[in-house]
Amino acid sequence: MSQVSTTQLEETRPADQGALLEVTNLVKHFPITQGIIFRKEVGRVHAVEDVTFSIKPGETLGLVGESGCGKSTTARLVMRLLDATSGSIRFDGKEITHTNRREMLPMRREMQMIFQDPYSSLNPRHTIGQIIGAPYSIHKTEGEQRKKVQELMDRVGLNPEHYNRYAHEFSGGQRQRIGVARALALRPKLIVCDEPVSALDVSIQAQILNLLEDLQEEFKLTYLFISHDLGVVRHVSDRIAVMYLGRIVELSGADTLYENPKHPYTTALLSAVPKGGVEKHLENRIVLAGDVPSPVDPPSGCVFHPRCPKARIVSGNEDEVPENCRNEMPPLDEIDRSHFAACWYPIEEGEKLHQAAHA
Amino acid sequence: MAETLLEVKDLKVHFNTPDGVVKAVDGVSFSVDRGETLGVVGESGSGKSVTCLTALRLVNLETADVSGEVIFKGRDLLKLKNDELRKVRGKELAMVFQDPFACLHPLYRVGDQIVEAIRTHDDCGKDEAAKRGIELLAAVGIPRPAERFEDYPHQYSGGMRQRAMIAMALVHNPDLLIADEPTTALDVTVQAQILELIDKVKQDFNIGVILITHDLGVVSDVAQKVMVMYAGRPVEVGSRDEVFRQPLHPYTWGLLESIPRVDQKGTRLIPIAGAPPSLIRVPTGCPFHPRCPHRFEPCDKEEPELVDRGGGHPDACHLTIEDKKRLWDERESRRAGKVAS
Repeated sequence: MSQVSTTQLEETRPADQGALLEVTNLVKHFPITQGIIFRKEVGRVHAVEDVTFSIKPGETLGLVGESGCGKSTTARLVMRLLDATSGSIRFDGKEITHTNRREMLPMRREMQMIFQDPYSSLNPRHTIGQIIGAPYSIHKTEGEQRKKVQELMDRVGLNPEHYNRYAHEFSGGQRQRIGVARALALRPKLIVCDEPVSALDVSIQAQILNLLEDLQEEFKLTYLFISHDLGVVRHVSDRIAVMYLGRIVELSGADTLYENPKHPYTTALLSAVPKGGVEKHLENRIVLAGDVPSPVDPPSGCVFHPRCPKARIVSGNEDEVPENCRNEMPPLDEIDRSHFAACWYPIEEGEKLHQAAHA
Repeated sequence: MAETLLEVKDLKVHFNTPDGVVKAVDGVSFSVDRGETLGVVGESGSGKSVTCLTALRLVNLETADVSGEVIFKGRDLLKLKNDELRKVRGKELAMVFQDPFACLHPLYRVGDQIVEAIRTHDDCGKDEAAKRGIELLAAVGIPRPAERFEDYPHQYSGGMRQRAMIAMALVHNPDLLIADEPTTALDVTVQAQILELIDKVKQDFNIGVILITHDLGVVSDVAQKVMVMYAGRPVEVGSRDEVFRQPLHPYTWGLLESIPRVDQKGTRLIPIAGAPPSLIRVPTGCPFHPRCPHRFEPCDKEEPELVDRGGGHPDACHLTIEDKKRLWDERESRRAGKVAS
């Protein structure tokens, strides 16, 4: 989306200095409890496990994965809507992992969120003016609120005369524009977009994506962009992190990831996307067996090993996987320049997996 | 020549509401052959679901204004008596719905729900029905089917529920399967599994399939024939290759261009201007004309018919075939130029 030069990209490490947002070894477990008076913990949902990444100013980092992989939890942790179990979050050089509410308040001006569902994220009893103006009221900014709100409405493509209308009077795409205007109100540095276009029809989706792109350029915004749609993520992102079962399994520049994926899960995910057009890709499609395992009891070793087609090629046996895949989680290593993957047997360039998956 | 299973002729479904008449479906004609998958694509409110619900007569004929014919294996379903219809529905004509979370009863075991579906049409014992049910669960790829047969829906994942729904639709070897957005609620890797399953079922059981979706990618993967709908009517109908190689209607162009592609670098998307019209006040003439960048003289006055204008397959647009070819080539090269730069 933004113009990040190649030299900048090459220097990027999963977490490094000079970044706007730095997340290091972030972990979030949700306890599962039993009993009413004596609550005892009987298990844990391992929602986010050892996640490390950073975002440079002006950059867009895409976060992709299937439902339940922890991408939204990561977003909430970054926004401090949830407290991390361990790990650290640094925003603009300041450690914010454990700051209290009062200290957090001024920081919240700098980081805003756009939500997935434009229907439930807008209060049906408030007018659009109240909704977009809420950030100004909360943070007690100077100046005339109405004028500011109307300028914002104009900027995101809403008619400023609709200031006194209610959310139900707008279509899905227009509501999402309201959500964008609200996020933009305090001129934040970072906007976390949690599936901002998933609820929209394709023709409207393109309008919102173009709007986000224009706003990024105009206001020098940094995005953490979460989506399950690989096409959308490729379109908007400079770099992309792929998550599986709470962990980042691959992190690289957007084009590199799509042209030369290293992790078998990324490869399978990309091959599963139906491609509009007439390209014959069905022969190359890898259909993964089974479902994503439960995050309550994640598999030992590499979390992907029970479904991994590559591990089966390496072992030479359909029912076996190599020992290190079963026993040890591979670290997120730099395999190519600024291309990180957590796999013991990363995919070679040009290597095909589909025969194995179908065998 | 393949057997024609379903033929819909000039179907119109209008709903009377306090705000006015909603013309949800306004003149839809199509046919499905045995062994063929018809993909119906369109945005929300384009009438694709209502078309198929009406084909199954799942809209209330007393409150909705329905005209036209739905001929299924020689009989007009819209004219059948209720008890005759009940013999067809679920037996020869089955449906898979969008949301596998809402379509299974949460308090009954999956197995019991399948047994009920079997015994609705077949006079057989519970044990025999259970045996068939377990075979079907195995056929749709549910591991350890005998155990899973006894499970409740909440013990199934989304993909497994959709498999169970497909198994339930197949209990009486239907001739035609209607799948309304069967993969929309699922993740891409699971979507790939379900699409493969639907394709396999189509071949194994030699049936016809209507696949309703908003995702052009899904259609290009599994459908042989494609119908693009807009504002309650078809704007383009053709084989998959025809529609994707040489699309003729500006709405189809817009759809194809507004999707960010996995296999191409990020270029600026070309959205369709505006929003889909209200079905109470459908624009005069061509319903797409207010959003169409290529509109000209007759577009706001005359409604174009869905006919073959020399492009090889029917479309509903006033432009001449030469103009269409030129405009599409221009748009394609503009796009290719952007990708290159």
